[in-house]
Amino acid sequence: MEQGTIERDIHVDASPEVVFEVVSQPEHMREWWPDDARFESVAGAPGELVWRNADTGETTTVALAVVEVDPPKRFSFRWCFTEPDRGGPALLVTFDLTPTGTGTQIRMTETGFREMGWEIAVLEAQYQDHENGWDHYMPRLGGYVARLVATP
Amino acid sequence: MSTAVDDELWSAIGDPTRRTMIDLLLSDGPGTATSLSRRLPVTRQAVSKHLAVLDRVGLIHAESAGRERHYQVDEAQLARAVAQLSAVGSTWDARLRRIKRIAEAIERNRHHDEGE
Repeated sequence: MEQGTIERDIHVDASPEVVFEVVSQPEHMREWWPDDARFESVAGAPGELVWRNADTGETTTVALAVVEVDPPKRFSFRWCFTEPDRGGPALLVTFDLTPTGTGTQIRMTETGFREMGWEIAVLEAQYQDHENGWDHYMPRLGGYVARLVATP
Repeated sequence: MSTAVDDELWSAIGDPTRRTMIDLLLSDGPGTATSLSRRLPVTRQAVSKHLAVLDRVGLIHAESAGRERHYQVDEAQLARAVAQLSAVGSTWDARLRRIKRIAEAIERNRHHDEGE
């Protein structure tokens, strides 16, 4: 993994047009991610993602900003802004869709961890890489980590 | 779920020297600024500063025994940090699986409608 970036690929047995709708429309997004998603799928549009705590009913709202809408190839947005009014460094999530013989290849890229100063990426790289990873250095915690990873 | 991340915890654990210190405290048991500085290419003063950062976010706890403070890892807090870390990657895996399921269901329905 490149430092500062999370990349995931998945193949979907559906056309890029269908997949694009699912990743870029708020009514679909709330089915695969937050409890509610409010944004116009237009470049530059501000939006919100809302999570509801099932026990307390409290909601958490996270700002989002649509960056690129290029159907049926690319949809990207920023979230986790570090300053109010969608300012400061933020994470950038990009979905790149490529047609295949039987469907669509999705590549999800989330970047910006380094800019945010979290250094999650460094941690994740070490964490994922078992040869150099925490399992190697932390035998006492190894079993616990393995259980955490196994938890969905 | 929300992926609100504890920034201070991340930056505390993000530093390679501090991670090595945690590794040493886990493998060798409780240590002091002096004992850690012997194992690291940094001064005792630098080690003390790093220990203070780790202490502040609760990754280690100090006990005063004798002349120096003895630090040990708070495994619960460390596990929490590791869990947050793995959540960043694994939540995307879960989201992408849901995207796949939704898109494929729409595609199947579309073919079904066309077939009627």
